[in-house]
Amino acid sequence: MDDWVAELQRDRFDAAWDLFLDRYRRLIFAAIRHYAQDYDDVMDVFARACEALRADDLRRLRSWVEQPEHRARFSTWLVTVVRHLTVDWFRHRDGRRRLSVVAEGLPPLRRRIFELVFLDRRSHIEAYELIHAGEAPTLTFREFLSELRATYHAVSTGRRGQVLRDLAPASEAVEDLPADPAGPSATGVAEQSRLLERALAMLTPDDRLIVELYVLEELPAETVAKVLGLANAKAVYNRSYRALSLVREQLERAGVRREDL
Amino acid sequence: MSSRDPEDRLMMPDEPFEELKRVLDTRVRSEAPTPDCLQDDVIAAFAEGSLAPDLRATVLPHIATCVRCRGAVASVARALADPAVARELVVSPTDRRWYRIAVPLAAAAVLLLLLASPGADRSPGHRGPPPPPSSTTPVPRSPLGLVAAVRDLRWSPVAGADRYRVTVFDATGGVVYAAEAPDTVIALPDSVTLVPGTAYLWKVDARTGFDRWATSELTEFRVAEPRRR
Ligand SMILES: [Zn+2]
Repeated sequence: MDDWVAELQRDRFDAAWDLFLDRYRRLIFAAIRHYAQDYDDVMDVFARACEALRADDLRRLRSWVEQPEHRARFSTWLVTVVRHLTVDWFRHRDGRRRLSVVAEGLPPLRRRIFELVFLDRRSHIEAYELIHAGEAPTLTFREFLSELRATYHAVSTGRRGQVLRDLAPASEAVEDLPADPAGPSATGVAEQSRLLERALAMLTPDDRLIVELYVLEELPAETVAKVLGLANAKAVYNRSYRALSLVREQLERAGVRREDL
Repeated sequence: MSSRDPEDRLMMPDEPFEELKRVLDTRVRSEAPTPDCLQDDVIAAFAEGSLAPDLRATVLPHIATCVRCRGAVASVARALADPAVARELVVSPTDRRWYRIAVPLAAAAVLLLLLASPGADRSPGHRGPPPPPSSTTPVPRSPLGLVAAVRDLRWSPVAGADRYRVTVFDATGGVVYAAEAPDTVIALPDSVTLVPGTAYLWKVDARTGFDRWATSELTEFRVAEPRRR
């Protein structure tokens, strides 16, 4: 049995913690650095992660140890927990403040988009509505989308790019969209999105997941193959290609032309 | 926001889906957890590709449609593919199913790990960059993991290297054996006694220029204990 686990099971929490940290400090650091390259960010997140892992007599570690069966390797589970803690830190007070400096180099409109989408975690449509109702009443939705893409591009290439990717609000089914969120152009996009969701829903769960992970999340094909238990990267190319052709077919059947996309 | 390795695109010659992707990217966004959302250990197992097939089939419909869980899986998978993280997973003894094979690794050995490859921490790699080509750092070939016996140590060659330096540590970080060799194999002398069942670590440095050494990952092995009669 691992030494830190043995100490944990004897309720010697301080000793267990020291041994645990000796062993996993480097992995925790590497995981945090994956998301946040700025030195000060990394140190602050590390302190926060330690605090959270150590809280309540190492409650999180105990809950892992006490599980009768483990589905993942401990180190992968630890990376997962550290990922959540890192993203949470950036979402809340200190990290949020730290992130706001990213906006400083952006032109005013993109800066506003950054604040709404990444810091306030507004949906894209909400961000458009707020900007349209406020500082840019003549901004069309299409123009907004192009500014939005430029904003994503600008921030994802910077030092905090990896964590910003995780902070961008995730997409979700369009059923909750207001019928007419912001004039005809946004409605058009909303309608397209609705059709698209419907087309994606016709794929098998694994084909859909291939499309989502490979095309949208931009995971390398090798990684997608590993996650989904496929033979190799080529299987990922082929299946995503086929799945996307199906989606396109569905859309064309629904009357969406290529020029509209 | 996409710039990928061109090899990733082998089967997508005419980029007919770029616009489609753009629309997909602008789907409405928000994320609220649902009662079906996955536990951290399932997310971890999914991301590392080790989820049992029956459980995978059970959670697949959720993960295909839940942006929150899918985002977490993608994020963790991306982190695991980051060479700086992957390196720590490789050297961590718990990377194997630690609850089955618990190999004690003392603090001194961890210190060694901390000292290994100091310059490699500043990897710019996100979004799954390829691992460094193995021809620039030596890769230990044998012994690895549990072995019956160790007669020699073998590793992969490094382009331009004129000398290799091998070091074997015990679990407390003490040096058990150190030697240099012109080639990619070195015999372990009889004077070195390896205790069966005990964990050892070894690494190899390749000299690639004046005072320039490329260091392999620390690799663990154990000699099997003899069977009882
Ligand atoms: Zn979920």
